[in-house]
Amino acid sequence: MNERKVANLVVAAALLVPGSRGLAAQIVSKIEAGQYSVSDGVLPLSALRVAPTVQFDFPHASFMARGSAFLSEQALQLADGIVSGTFTSPTVYGVRAEMIGNASRAMDDRSLGNDQVDVQTRVHLLFHQHGGVWLGGGVARPWRVAVVSSADVTDAGVWTKIGDATRKLGIATFTATFTNFSFTKIASVHDNASASLSCATGTPTANLSMRPLFNETVGPGACERQSRFGDLEGQLHWDLGALELTAQAGHRFGDSYDVTADSRRWSSARATLWLNERIAFVGGGGRQPALPLRGIPARTFAMAGFELAYWPLSKNSVPVSLPHTALVKSFEYRAGNSGLQRITIRVGGVETVDVMGDFSDWSPLTLVRHGRDTWELSIPMSAGTHQINVRVDGGAWMAPPNMPTMRDSFGGEVGLMVIAPDKATH
Amino acid sequence: MIPLPSRTFLNVPRSLRVGALLLLTALPVAAQETDPCFKLDQPTKYPVESIIDSARTLGLPWMPLRSQVCEGIAKTKGDGKRILAALRDHFNRLKLAQTTLGAVSDDELEAAATVLKVAKPSQLVAFRERQKGRSDLEAFTVWTDLITRGVPSEDAFIAISKLWRDGADDATFRSLWKDVQADISQGLNPGAALQNRVREAPVRATAKPPQPEGQKENQSSR
Repeated sequence: MNERKVANLVVAAALLVPGSRGLAAQIVSKIEAGQYSVSDGVLPLSALRVAPTVQFDFPHASFMARGSAFLSEQALQLADGIVSGTFTSPTVYGVRAEMIGNASRAMDDRSLGNDQVDVQTRVHLLFHQHGGVWLGGGVARPWRVAVVSSADVTDAGVWTKIGDATRKLGIATFTATFTNFSFTKIASVHDNASASLSCATGTPTANLSMRPLFNETVGPGACERQSRFGDLEGQLHWDLGALELTAQAGHRFGDSYDVTADSRRWSSARATLWLNERIAFVGGGGRQPALPLRGIPARTFAMAGFELAYWPLSKNSVPVSLPHTALVKSFEYRAGNSGLQRITIRVGGVETVDVMGDFSDWSPLTLVRHGRDTWELSIPMSAGTHQINVRVDGGAWMAPPNMPTMRDSFGGEVGLMVIAPDKATH
Repeated sequence: MIPLPSRTFLNVPRSLRVGALLLLTALPVAAQETDPCFKLDQPTKYPVESIIDSARTLGLPWMPLRSQVCEGIAKTKGDGKRILAALRDHFNRLKLAQTTLGAVSDDELEAAATVLKVAKPSQLVAFRERQKGRSDLEAFTVWTDLITRGVPSEDAFIAISKLWRDGADDATFRSLWKDVQADISQGLNPGAALQNRVREAPVRATAKPPQPEGQKENQSSR
């Protein structure tokens, strides 16, 4: 086994090994592996694809690294990689700000690899935590592609979330986004219909923004052109018990010099069927539009495989908060190792679960997600009666279900945990 | 031969002894200064500290009172008036529980103070006599919950005190709570649910602690 294979195995194993608990930060990770087929492009027509992801979640920040590689001709070929950081402000009067920074590399082919750094800010407005709108803008700078300037990216979106995890129909999240891209690129001397274009005397629609470019790399006759196009996309994510469905469809607006015919419309779908808490079958396919900023062509794809997620990633498609205790399916506590009490809460379709009580001086402690809908935390507790509150997605503090409760002195309710002396932390 | 002075506290110079005592006395005060549960506005801080110091003096468990302040800070965003009112109430209930139950553990005293939020002090007297080693934490927790769920206070007291007198163990109280909770969630009247379940409840008596050897001999010699 060569060094590269050993390194790959070590990284894969590290992503699945549980880390320290009870930290303010959470580590989440998953590995997706399966057969991936594309209709065109430089990738192999059908290859085994491995896609590991690891993410560190803090209360107001998260850092993520993701990559994918194809096993082709007995060798792993890196396809892409991204390192991302997101900072979010606290929500004040339903308004939340967000700043996102990404550094990514796309290497569909070793000779066509390119890099990009982008920064974006967004302002979210939440409506009673069942829906919201956002408006954002930012700059992306690609290298080693036909784009010669930074790209201005502006986006706006609207989302709504309906249902809850306790209902038969689960939770559905609808999202609609419009993203506008504006940048200068080196234009081909032929348009998409292969009609000749002259840089000096271009067609009336094109000549306004085209100017001749004499570049050693591209050669004479190429042009610099101001490009602009917009993507309108709708997405549905449906969390239906053990089954998660995601479908999206979109349309690209822009003139024919900026938008190729095969990228005008697209749609794709993906289904994740959780076989148990940590393993899911994943299948999907559809059409992806071209990514001009990355030099990636449009493609039709199909994939089937398995996802192994010890600590599954948050979906994070929208800043959703649904503060319903009804979502909490069960609450348990039992003596764990070293006299610690292990609190286990089962709740699906949420991003964070916190507890607080006399054992934490009434400071929130964030639980770590295990598997699909199980959240756990091990904490020291002395013998006696303890009071506890739980909240999901930063909502209101509630008494946990399935345990004795009482009114607290501040107009709320708390759960009462009785820890026997032989099961307490001494 | 002159004996060597023994290394005791009394051999330490007086100035150091005084210094050490002052330091020990000042430690709780310093701890309160840095304690996040004492980050209160000045008009609230002084009475809060006085109540907690009074609890210490009376031999009451003061940690639950400190916790009450923390809870108030977390839930009211530091509303001094509400925190102080809750703390005074808690302190008075602890005093009442101590007077009623006598010498019990801090945990039991705190559990009794919690029951007094919903029950009458006179009802607590029924739990004064107890088998050695028997804990009333589970009984008090279930009692508190039943009243919170709408069971009439008197009905809850009669049911819990009867089970307690019959020597019911923790599992009996837990199972009663589960059954009553299930009935209430099915739509049954809370009082009726309790009465039905108490009638059916098989009392599992608490295991008696092993008696000392001498006592066994006395019994057998009778």
